[in-house]
Amino acid sequence: MRRRYKPAINHNSEFELDLAPLLAVMVKLVPVMLISSAFVQMMMVETELPQIVQAAIAKQEQQIKNPVIMLSFDRQHGIEILVEQDGDRKTEHIDLTSDKKFDYAALNKKMQAVKTQYPEAFKVQFDPGADVSYKEIVRLMDEVRQSREKSVRFPIKDTKTGEMTTTDYMFPEVIFSQMTEG
Amino acid sequence: MPRTRFKPQVKQNQTFSLNITSMTDMFTILLVFLLQNFAAGEAQIQAVENVRLPTSNTEKNPVNGIQISLSPRELKMDQTTLAKVENQDIAGANLDPHDPSFIKPLFEKLNQLNLEAKSKNLKNSGQVLLLADQDLPYSLIRKVMYTASMAGFPNLKLITTVGE
Repeated sequence: MRRRYKPAINHNSEFELDLAPLLAVMVKLVPVMLISSAFVQMMMVETELPQIVQAAIAKQEQQIKNPVIMLSFDRQHGIEILVEQDGDRKTEHIDLTSDKKFDYAALNKKMQAVKTQYPEAFKVQFDPGADVSYKEIVRLMDEVRQSREKSVRFPIKDTKTGEMTTTDYMFPEVIFSQMTEG
Repeated sequence: MPRTRFKPQVKQNQTFSLNITSMTDMFTILLVFLLQNFAAGEAQIQAVENVRLPTSNTEKNPVNGIQISLSPRELKMDQTTLAKVENQDIAGANLDPHDPSFIKPLFEKLNQLNLEAKSKNLKNSGQVLLLADQDLPYSLIRKVMYTASMAGFPNLKLITTVGE
């Protein structure tokens, strides 16, 4: 009787994976990714420049519902925080530091106090002096936007669910005032 | 008879296979890193010459809009130079003699865009992306803001880099 042919299979054999095609794909892909990658990540700060009518409407709305919070600052006098509601005006002053720079930490603290007092206010008006640099304005916007300490949070009402929650955001909406006065 | 020195036998026509496993490992790590940094935002913003953007802790990604760049040398819209900057101020010839905050070439260009949008029945988003050098004074930036606002672009987006 003829026996059926059985090929000999070595179950313990090792084989080498051919990585050359994979490497060929990667060699092509890496330069493409290198070209299209953004190594300097850019972000955006939103501001509003109210036009004459828009400014008037915005101001009216603010007067009815929320206080007007204004930050005036220049390189001679430092920062002045003005809070006005129903004709009641409160002013606070933050002096420049000993090396003639804005006291960002003190501003953040003061704005935390303002936010605690007026949790429903989100807009702040900026009135920078002509000599203030763009870098300083952006830094001041950062300081009023969020509290430095993550533990300090403010109550906010979720408009969808109606439930109260907390946020570390203070005044994310910045309006440059006196823009339309020429 | 003198002893001869031992000479190992070398095959001249021998072929060898290159071990590319470690190279593949390296490329895989590189690819993952590049994929993480891949710019997948809504808008692609090109860096502008002589403009050092300020850093900010904002978490908003840039959106599409008209790009205005302000460097210590010139005011540009996209790639077109609109006005020269001298001594941290717009060169006098580009300003309106009756309103020193009004930059004429910028207003004309933005107004032209407004008219083009109207003729095509497109809604003007009113969005301007400002790429300004971090050391420029507010007096100069204010002129750009003021002119943009007058031309019907009241929503200004300040472009910054990711800070500490």
